[in-house]
Amino acid sequence: MNSRSISFRLVVWYAGLLAVIFSALFALLYLNVRLFLINDMSQSQVRRTQQVASLLLAQPGQAGQIATEAKEWFQPETNDRFIRISHTDGTVIYVSGAPIDGSFDPRKVPAIGDSSEAEFSRQVQLSGGEILMVTALKYTSPGNQDYLIEYGASLDPVQTMLNRLFLRLAVGLPLAIILMTAGGYWLIRRALAPVEQVTRAAERITQHNLDERLPVSNTGDELERLSISLNRMIARLNDAFQNSKRFVADASHELRTPLTILRGELENMAEDPRLGLEWRERAASLLEETERLSRIVEQLFTLSRLDAGEAQAEWARFDLAELARSTAEQMNLLAEDKRISINCDAGQPVMVEGDRARLKQVVVNLLDNAIKYTPKSGAIQLRIQAANGHAVLDVEDNGIGIAADVLPHVFERFYRVDQSRSGESEGAGLGLSIVKSICTAHGAEVGVVSTPNVGTRFSVKLPLRKN
Amino acid sequence: MRILLVEDEKKVAEIIERGLKAERYAVDICHNGREGWEMAAAYEYDIIILDLMLPEMSGTEILEKIRRKNQQVPILILTARDAMNDKVKNFELGADDYLTKPFAFAELLLRVKALLRRGPVNRSSILRVGDLEIDRLSQSVRRAGKKIDLTAKEYGLLEYLATNPGRVFSRTMIIEHVWDQSFQGLTNIVDVYVRHLREKVDDAHPLKLLRTVRGVGYCLSDEVAA
Repeated sequence: MNSRSISFRLVVWYAGLLAVIFSALFALLYLNVRLFLINDMSQSQVRRTQQVASLLLAQPGQAGQIATEAKEWFQPETNDRFIRISHTDGTVIYVSGAPIDGSFDPRKVPAIGDSSEAEFSRQVQLSGGEILMVTALKYTSPGNQDYLIEYGASLDPVQTMLNRLFLRLAVGLPLAIILMTAGGYWLIRRALAPVEQVTRAAERITQHNLDERLPVSNTGDELERLSISLNRMIARLNDAFQNSKRFVADASHELRTPLTILRGELENMAEDPRLGLEWRERAASLLEETERLSRIVEQLFTLSRLDAGEAQAEWARFDLAELARSTAEQMNLLAEDKRISINCDAGQPVMVEGDRARLKQVVVNLLDNAIKYTPKSGAIQLRIQAANGHAVLDVEDNGIGIAADVLPHVFERFYRVDQSRSGESEGAGLGLSIVKSICTAHGAEVGVVSTPNVGTRFSVKLPLRKN
Repeated sequence: MRILLVEDEKKVAEIIERGLKAERYAVDICHNGREGWEMAAAYEYDIIILDLMLPEMSGTEILEKIRRKNQQVPILILTARDAMNDKVKNFELGADDYLTKPFAFAELLLRVKALLRRGPVNRSSILRVGDLEIDRLSQSVRRAGKKIDLTAKEYGLLEYLATNPGRVFSRTMIIEHVWDQSFQGLTNIVDVYVRHLREKVDDAHPLKLLRTVRGVGYCLSDEVAA
């Protein structure tokens, strides 16, 4: 999962908040239960001391009698309880024996200090580490004798219960957080799913299908508004694109007439015997530039026509391998001139559907490009094959190659790998963008891989059948 | 020979007129569509050169009107528009040829001549330029009686130049005739082929027939240069 996605961040916040709130709630619960258990214990012990007082001390009796009765009535040893009855001066009348479970030693329970209260509870830690809760009651008998009755029990059962509660909370808390987080994640994903759809639809829209729009859910929520706003933006983009395309088409169109005039006048001058040789040479030089200008205008016009989708004008079914072979043959002399060999590997017929003249231009431009950027005595490999419903055309050279940082730009209009090359009279950096436009019009992909000083390979992947 | 030129761009019209007059054609010029149609209807012309984008009446409209009168006059369309459907539409309406701007005047002249003769510029099966002999039937070439072996493209280029000896052919014209539109913009291919052709045709002879006209193109001529 993307750690920066909204759903991830929301879930993390959600889980964090849950952990804090639940921890606080659980702590509160634990403390309350503890308080309740201890209070409960001390209250029941208060009742016990009062029972001891009313049963044993209400009638005056001997110390021995009190002890026997205490044993009989309360059986502190069997019940793991502690009972001690003493006079206020500290003389012990009775103390219970060691409990059956041996959890504490009654003789070790320290004597109570002075307290003004008539009845109170305290927790006593014995030297063995056991904690006892002891409740004391000051009692004055009808015979006007003062007694101190102490009733106690080990806190162990309470602690065990609290420990068990703590354990359950400690296991339950993460489990609850995990469950709620998972549920929250599911909810968020569900809520954000339309965003994902809008994103995917938006990604499908490129400069070539700007007339398409995003699906708008009729829910009246934020997402509907988002889709509508995005659609408006795409519409504005489309307008801008159409304007720039129209501009290129109009400009290349409008340039034709002045170019015709320039060319005509210069042709006259270049061949006018009345002018001196130097002037005719100058006119000829201007004429060369005019021709170059005409070629650029022509290529721009070709591009704007391709953009307007006019490549489909002459759609036919033909053998791409044959086209590649014949084109390579026609270009061969150009390569031979630089002692470059063109090796054409196109034995099997590969039938494709498309505009033959346009696709031929793809082969011509790619071969021309390869010849231009391959040094003398190099080699060019032209390969046509059919694979997975596609015709694949590869043009591979062992030339100077293209640096990785400029590689993504080679199909851009007027882009030149080497700026110093702009002085050359041929081309304007439009050849490869024409290749790209023709490929796009045919639903084909064109790609390039290159290693500087090793070579470059251009690949065109053309569907065997028109979609 | 009388030619009607309907072209609203005055400078373009002027250049064409000058060139045609130098070739001793009589030229009438109109700068708008209505006038052009009136002239075409009123006089007998040997050829009409028609721009498509005209004020008052479009070239296509004039073309339609002339053809409705069933006139056999050859019509050459001149336009900045070259979208495929336009081309098809104008041929359907009865245009005989089509030239897109910017064009070389040499090409316009060639087309005009071809239309006036109503057929290939030179139909004879043997073309001769000086001591160079091209047999179109067997596609064989001899110079001073000696056979020269040429590849198909070299032969095509030489034959094309030989159809109009002394006339300059632009690289664009050569590419369109000998290769095809796909090679448009690849003018250096013409230079390479001409160089190879020179090696085979001219190198062994003092009189060079294949000539470069700088900035314009190439021509085949046996005239001794001044």
